[in-house]
Amino acid sequence: MVNVQEVTFSYSKKARLISNMSLELEAGHIHGLLGKNGEGKSTLLKLISGLVFPHVGNIDTFGFKPQKRHPEMLQDIYFLPEELPQLTLSIQNFENVYAAFYPKFNSEQFNNYLKEFDITDKSQMLNKLSHGQKKKVFVAFGLATNTKLLLMDEPTNGLDIPSKGQFRRMVASAIDDTRCLLISTHQVHDLDSLIDSIIIMDKHEIVFNQDINNITNKLLFRVADRNTTDDTVLYSEDTLRGLFQVCKNPNGEDSKLDIELLFNAVLSNKNEIVKLF
Amino acid sequence: MNATLNINRIWLLLQRYFIENKQRELSFWGIAIVVFMLAHQTEAVTIYLFISGLIFAGNTFKSFNYTPSGMHYLLIPATHTEKLITNILLSTFYYFAMFVITYTIGTFLGINIRNLLWGDSIPVEFDLFNTYWHNSGNISFWNMFYSFAVLQSIFMLGSVYFKRNAVFKTILSYFVLIFVLFVIQLFILKVGYGSFHIDNHDINLQFMSFNDYFPGFETAFKVLGYLSLPFFWLVTYFRLTEKEV
Repeated sequence: MVNVQEVTFSYSKKARLISNMSLELEAGHIHGLLGKNGEGKSTLLKLISGLVFPHVGNIDTFGFKPQKRHPEMLQDIYFLPEELPQLTLSIQNFENVYAAFYPKFNSEQFNNYLKEFDITDKSQMLNKLSHGQKKKVFVAFGLATNTKLLLMDEPTNGLDIPSKGQFRRMVASAIDDTRCLLISTHQVHDLDSLIDSIIIMDKHEIVFNQDINNITNKLLFRVADRNTTDDTVLYSEDTLRGLFQVCKNPNGEDSKLDIELLFNAVLSNKNEIVKLF
Repeated sequence: MNATLNINRIWLLLQRYFIENKQRELSFWGIAIVVFMLAHQTEAVTIYLFISGLIFAGNTFKSFNYTPSGMHYLLIPATHTEKLITNILLSTFYYFAMFVITYTIGTFLGINIRNLLWGDSIPVEFDLFNTYWHNSGNISFWNMFYSFAVLQSIFMLGSVYFKRNAVFKTILSYFVLIFVLFVIQLFILKVGYGSFHIDNHDINLQFMSFNDYFPGFETAFKVLGYLSLPFFWLVTYFRLTEKEV
């Protein structure tokens, strides 16, 4: 679906924002894109959708070069940015205007998603809504476009606690074998039980890209006593509840993935962890 | 699917513009009618046309002022050609047509209300059209429209080129360009005639004066004038294709 090959990109000549990056995204998956601030996560989403152009390397999005911004490609991409555009439109008019550009848009789905988010009055003006409410409209619209690729940059920022759960449920129900979702976020707990693959960026490169099953097969996530230590421990965090550890998992024990712990583990012990996969 | 030009998508882009800017359009043209009711002298109307027009054109790609809006605009599933054509239709043809319509309505209402209130019997005359349509002089209605279209194309290019304060920066660039051309003119005269004076007369700094010394210059200048419109549209197109946000 999307093939990023050895791409390098920078906004200025001094510092590279994306360095020699390769990545493949397949349909039927929900990928979580994690990284510290300024690592180039949003830029990667922009590169895939053709908003910025790679300086070196190639990107293929459904067989199109994204920088051409071919309408056939754009009809199958929905990009939800972290900051939303200022539109002086009612929700109804927003649907009337923009749905026509997306051939697979489903109005019934849109209404259902809005209802799930408790937005019932479509005559409300988008510019009068709070950031969170506006985000709900854009999320609902994006899911209802039924595009092959959904790119979401911090989609849960601004959503209240119940809405985050609704967001997860909606996304899980909207993604099928034909669609792919790439979510860039710092709110890792919002991705729990939603994503099936984790991509971690560090120092402007992808340092880790694995599906969840593979991760829990190779790594064990556990809470241990402070005195517990053995040579399987790859990373450890001291908390009030004890030591949160990421360990090697030679026996294939079951454990619940802790995305935040994994992220910190990868950043602090990258070589050891990558070697296991 | 037509990859370059699809009339349906242009129609959708136009619809998008009018739905998003309904209030602004109604207010702007409402005010224009009031302005033309009060002032319908040709000179004032022409100045109003050109100044308001360049502000309108200078805001064509105003969505690029704010990154999320620029991203939203570039990701609308339509080609760059369709987006450009839509903006040309709006900033040039639609704007001019609306200008003519509101001028006609405003002038008609203005004169009739005045006649009614003050008991005058001033005939309703549309000076703008009289001057430009019926004169057999050099300035025709078509010329006025073409000059307007060229100016619009320059400011449309400015709006895609400059991220902020596009109108001001375009005006500044325009004057810098005129100054550079002026210096080149002086340079040519200096090289060609060894002096800034020709036949002991001070040089006329108008370009057209060149025609006396370089036959065919006026024709070439006219041709360049006509070509400038598609030239600026083309440059705007390429600028749009390479736009990154």
